[in-house]
Amino acid sequence: MSSSMALFSSTTPHLHSFSSSSRTHFPINPFLSLKPQKHQLFVSVRVTENGAGATIAVEEKKDSEPEVSKESSLGNGAPVADAVEEEVVKFEDPKWVSGTWDLKQFQKGGATDWDAVIDAEVKRRKWLEDNPESSNNDFPVVFDTSIIPWWAWMKRFHLPEAELLNGRAAMVGFFMAYFVDSLTGVGLVDQMGNFFCKTLLFVAVGGVLLIRKNEDFDTIKKLIDETTFYDKQWQATWQDEKKE
Amino acid sequence: MASVTVKSFVGLHQTSLENYNRRHSVTGLSKCVVPSQLKYRRLNVVAAKSNPKIAGRNLRVAVVGGGPAGGAAAETLAKGGIETFLIERKMDNAKPCGGAIPLCMVAEFDLPLDIIDRRVTKLKVISPSNVSVDVHKTLKPHEYVGMVRREVLDGYLRERAVASGATIINGLFTKMDKPQEKNGTYVLHYNAFNGESVSAGERMSIEVDAVIGADGANSRVAKSIDAGDYEYLIAFQERIKLPDDKMQYYENLAEMYTGDDVSPDFYGWVFPKCDHVAVGTGTIGHKPDIKKFQDATRLRARDKILGGKIMRVEAHPIPQHPRPRRVVDRVALIGDAAGYVTKGSGEGIYFAAKSGRMCAEAIVEGSDYGRRMVDEGDMRSYLKKWDKAYGPTFKVMNILERLFYRSNPAREALVELFGNEYVQKMTFDSYMYKKVVHGNPLEDLKLAVNTIGSLVRANALSKMAN
Repeated sequence: MSSSMALFSSTTPHLHSFSSSSRTHFPINPFLSLKPQKHQLFVSVRVTENGAGATIAVEEKKDSEPEVSKESSLGNGAPVADAVEEEVVKFEDPKWVSGTWDLKQFQKGGATDWDAVIDAEVKRRKWLEDNPESSNNDFPVVFDTSIIPWWAWMKRFHLPEAELLNGRAAMVGFFMAYFVDSLTGVGLVDQMGNFFCKTLLFVAVGGVLLIRKNEDFDTIKKLIDETTFYDKQWQATWQDEKKE
Repeated sequence: MASVTVKSFVGLHQTSLENYNRRHSVTGLSKCVVPSQLKYRRLNVVAAKSNPKIAGRNLRVAVVGGGPAGGAAAETLAKGGIETFLIERKMDNAKPCGGAIPLCMVAEFDLPLDIIDRRVTKLKVISPSNVSVDVHKTLKPHEYVGMVRREVLDGYLRERAVASGATIINGLFTKMDKPQEKNGTYVLHYNAFNGESVSAGERMSIEVDAVIGADGANSRVAKSIDAGDYEYLIAFQERIKLPDDKMQYYENLAEMYTGDDVSPDFYGWVFPKCDHVAVGTGTIGHKPDIKKFQDATRLRARDKILGGKIMRVEAHPIPQHPRPRRVVDRVALIGDAAGYVTKGSGEGIYFAAKSGRMCAEAIVEGSDYGRRMVDEGDMRSYLKKWDKAYGPTFKVMNILERLFYRSNPAREALVELFGNEYVQKMTFDSYMYKKVVHGNPLEDLKLAVNTIGSLVRANALSKMAN
């Protein structure tokens, strides 16, 4: 679904320069000798299955941050950001219009294709995590995930997981019922009447819900520790008093 | 100066000001003597009565550290008739600090309005994907966050302490000799300021009966009583002078940037100061990467601080929870030395001053206005009061930090929630007045549902990406 080579759909008008994956070298600006300069060549892309590719302009980006002199004894420090020459790579997508997803472009068969909106937002967030952008007041981001209706979330995320968990619970339940029956001769209906069996059922369902991956054991233990840790730190001063 | 400005706040906080005046003007004699009150105060009175009377002099207390905590403590002690020594190593110390004080501090400590350089009335919170929300729609016209210069605030509180009768000693506290017998004295050794520095100053010492440690995050008093350590956040900030048009934008606006790039467990900020902005970030668990986080913060704010010049770079540790032992025998810690900083926001000025005042009040009460010796129980009564009054505030901030600072999806959810007016109102009310505000239960329920919804959505989106 995503490739790391420079591929993009030719329909986008946002392309600037395109170079292959080799790095280009900049002349070393004496100003910048304070810190190693970061060159970044952006070659990332996502091409989705339904062809609604988000494309990102591929350019060279010069990182201007390290110019700043950090010695306060120099009097006036260097300017914070180099104004003119740099070209920044920003998140650009034809469907991302004035800081939000343009729902009109997500129409499928007359209704909005919420799955595509979700996909697009996922890509945008992943892109920004890898390439943080400056927040600009002239181009505010105003997208709110709550415009996506609840059933779209359910269909997309809850239902598959629910299916998985119910399947697990059913398998565990069936075999446990079989084993108990073979060992004790108590049939399914009579098992349900027994308190101990009901407890086992509860434990099985709870276990399936809470522990979905092997790591969940540790995660739950850590969570329990976390919730009480801060309290313990505040109570520490009173432990001495009790001991005395 | 102080009396004129107090008047203008009367309308703001009628009850708290009246309470303050009542508490502080009525002489405490009535507390100990009036029989009807005896049964409420019995525990204290008994403790005070069993402490030996000091013959011929008043109780002597040394406050080590002259910041907001020390200044407030020294003022209250001196007003209570106790012989107070305030030891401060650098009178013009311009401390690395956000410099934000809540509204209630101005009223409770009768701060003159000219101490406040700037009134911040707008806060912008920015998510990792640059969704931004303006959190100030519910602020009333008289509400603001005051930005102060620490050297101005600290100096003012110290002057007030001196005016109430405290003695200021310009020196660096080096070590403390603990008392040899039960009611013996503490001997504090310090280097007196010799006009140039404190490290080369003359070694002197004073004898006192009790010590308040208000010497900040790297407290030497805490070390000498073996108070234990705390986890700390390293806060790093650069003071940047902006061109006028860019400074206009930050006239009364502060910004908070969130994201793993800016800080994996805290936030980056742009706070306006008297004539420049402070751009900084902090981290608890990833300290070696702090410069990287600072670069990322400047990147995120780049368009708004374009053309700015860095004037100064500073960093400081900020405690994340109280030290294990805050009171040992007749030494008590207050402020940053004790670790009274809220998680999540890193706010400590108000808590420093308030804890100083509370500790001093406990000493004044326990010593019956300086006539009797105090003991550990009297110092601990300040801890009890403090934990009861502000424990919930700190715990709520801890929960919020745990929930919303753990990951990028959590921060996206936080910004989404901040768009809600009820959340804005609750947040600002609890910040301004330092009380855990009890909201409308129905709204709380809706908020809980929205919180879960936002967190689930944001986490689902991020899981898909991986």
